[in-house]
Amino acid sequence: MNNNLENVLKKEPRRALQYSLIAIVLVILLAVSSPALHGAHVTTKGIEIGWNILMGILMPDTSLLFGLNDSSVAYLILQTIAIAFLGTLVGAVIAVPLSFISATNIVPRPVVIVTRFIIMAIRTVPSLVYGLMFIRVTGPGPFAGVMTLAIVSIGMISKLFIETIEDLDSGILESLDACGSTFFQKIRYGVLPQLSSDFISILVYRFDMNLREATILGLVGAGGIGAPMIFAMGAYHWHQVGAILIGLFILVFVVEIISNKLRQKILYG
Amino acid sequence: MGWYDKLFDAESYTLANGKTVSQKFTRVPLLVLLLLIAIGISVWVTGFKLTTLFTNLSGFWNIFGSMFPPKLSYFMQVWQPLLMTIQMSFFGSFFGALLALPFAVLAAHNITNNKIVNLLIRFILTVVRTIPTLVSALIATYIFGLGTFAGTVAIFLFSFSFVGKQLFEYIETVDMGAYEALTATGANAPRAFVTTIFPQILPIYLSTALFAFEGNVRYAAILGYVGAGGIGMILNEKIGWREFNSVGMILLSIFVAVVIIETVSQRLRKHLS
Amino acid sequence: MIKFEHVSKVYPNGVKGLRDINLEIQDGEFIGIIGMSGAGKSTFIRTINRLNSITDGTLTVDDVEISGLKGKALRQYRRKVGMIFQSYNLVPRISVIKNVLSSLVPDMPLGRVILGIFSKEDKLKALEALDRVSMLDKAFIRTDHLSGGQQQRVSLARTLAQNPSVLLADEPVAALDPVTAHEVMDDFKRINEELGQTVLINIHHVDLALEYSKRIIGIRSGEVVYDGPADEITQDILDFIYSKDEAE
Repeated sequence: MNNNLENVLKKEPRRALQYSLIAIVLVILLAVSSPALHGAHVTTKGIEIGWNILMGILMPDTSLLFGLNDSSVAYLILQTIAIAFLGTLVGAVIAVPLSFISATNIVPRPVVIVTRFIIMAIRTVPSLVYGLMFIRVTGPGPFAGVMTLAIVSIGMISKLFIETIEDLDSGILESLDACGSTFFQKIRYGVLPQLSSDFISILVYRFDMNLREATILGLVGAGGIGAPMIFAMGAYHWHQVGAILIGLFILVFVVEIISNKLRQKILYG
Repeated sequence: MGWYDKLFDAESYTLANGKTVSQKFTRVPLLVLLLLIAIGISVWVTGFKLTTLFTNLSGFWNIFGSMFPPKLSYFMQVWQPLLMTIQMSFFGSFFGALLALPFAVLAAHNITNNKIVNLLIRFILTVVRTIPTLVSALIATYIFGLGTFAGTVAIFLFSFSFVGKQLFEYIETVDMGAYEALTATGANAPRAFVTTIFPQILPIYLSTALFAFEGNVRYAAILGYVGAGGIGMILNEKIGWREFNSVGMILLSIFVAVVIIETVSQRLRKHLS
Repeated sequence: MIKFEHVSKVYPNGVKGLRDINLEIQDGEFIGIIGMSGAGKSTFIRTINRLNSITDGTLTVDDVEISGLKGKALRQYRRKVGMIFQSYNLVPRISVIKNVLSSLVPDMPLGRVILGIFSKEDKLKALEALDRVSMLDKAFIRTDHLSGGQQQRVSLARTLAQNPSVLLADEPVAALDPVTAHEVMDDFKRINEELGQTVLINIHHVDLALEYSKRIIGIRSGEVVYDGPADEITQDILDFIYSKDEAE
């Protein structure tokens, strides 16, 4: 009993040592990272702008917010949703084959290493860089946004697709085998139904994320709600900025709720 | 979906022994129709054209090709902004995660038994999380001026809302037994929290913060686009000047940095769980 | 009739699965196969469906030597020898009836196979099969909303829908609690009595095996060490079947 107590006591200080080590490392890293604070020069003008933005949100430009013409918030929201939706679909079309040749239960290891490296590389390039590259292909506008989101989505979609594929229950295939199914029938009735609901749920999730991405594509001229916001900011039209920010908030918020509900329904019935 | 079942009759089956079952009319046609309409509208709104894509795709590959080989010597100009990007991410993630802790505690209904406080804090977390990081960076540049600080603020806000949400949802699932036992003996709530709940949430808390940091490094790379500091500034500049060899070098550097940070961070997170 | 003549099975890694098995199984028998795990019960059952191939001897089913079957002939043979597994092997996120219908797919024309459209006739077959295991009311429910016992019944219904003359079951109740296990075994018994299908079940619960089967086959280290009526089995025989093999 006493021995036990001593053993417990002996363990205790090590934890403390571990925690203080972590704390010291964190403090050092923080000190090293302090240049991140450079460039802060809050002027009275800055404070005034902050105040104006707040006022803009509280008193948005209602004609912009509730209007229905093609520069209104409603139309921009529709465009942003369309970009995110189509971008997710095109991304999925590219990601599906890529995922199958990256799953350890489908192809040999060396192939997996190569394909996963490619996926990782695709994922690293920032979306705005893709945006600028696609503008050369499609010209500025929402089309470029669709392609940008498609490429940006590949990384995450295939990562999650691969996990699903690797989790395939091969028992179902054995059962189909035992009742005399051909190879194609096993794919159609053993593999597809297992994957489809997970795949759809992943795409719904990615659509949610793409919508957030789509809101910033306007920065490089790739359509969506972002561009008019930047123009409004540049022109100090704070009431317009407020209207757009409110629209953006409602859009992201509502889509998040719907996508969560939808995924719940798909995965758990 | 009641109207749908009224519109289309359910199909009924009668078994040989006289039992009958009925199946609601299949939803597949409705879903396919909705999907097609959504695709149609999206194609129309965005001006998506497959033919344009295939005829002009060479433009994409041309730019891509001109990034190779990356101009290695340019690394001398890359490493400093890259380091700055990582510093911004670290600083922002650290303080964001730090601030998230009290907010998460206030948002969790099993610790803070006050509906109004819960809802208010959750609303704040949601609003902050909804604003895209680049947009908050843009606003920050207007308020704090161009430079790294604006970027750090944007990263801080994102980490705060992300960690805050994940953490409060986790806190609501922890085992409350020890906490209740301790408060029953007369310990005050903060003390009971620190000794019983905090050890339970600490691994998840740290691992979520690390996860946010991982993502932030990747994300911080584009903050420079709105003048919020880091490697995005030179990236934007080099794309503008069409110096694609240098762009290639910048992307390669980001890639290597991200791979290293993700590997280390994933190790740490595995260790934590 | 299933006939084993000097059947042996050696796995590629040299492990002997079955050694010189000789026995006959008549149509309509209810047979329990007992033995320790790893004794070769699974191998025995799986060779009948050709999920495992034998390496020596001859195995004939209804006067057809089955080790020679290939491609289409093999698939057609498997239509009449249904198999049920310990893990229910159902697709969790689709409806019960869709899982049952999947066993009818091999008899469907290609167009219907691709589109997944089933005829009313096929749906009735599936529903009849579900009714036999008293799962008719669950036909249009998602499979993952069912309990383990219910899922095993659906799995049984899926096999029944293909109307096999032999039912093979590899530890069908091993993952179920005792009460549910009895319910599922009752289903097997009823089907055997009402439809006259030959039933071969691997069970490691001796009690269940003795309770339900008329004939018991005891397997130990790949050899048949007992083959006879369930009511003639003694404690000594059981002890021998479940004794450790000194040689290995």
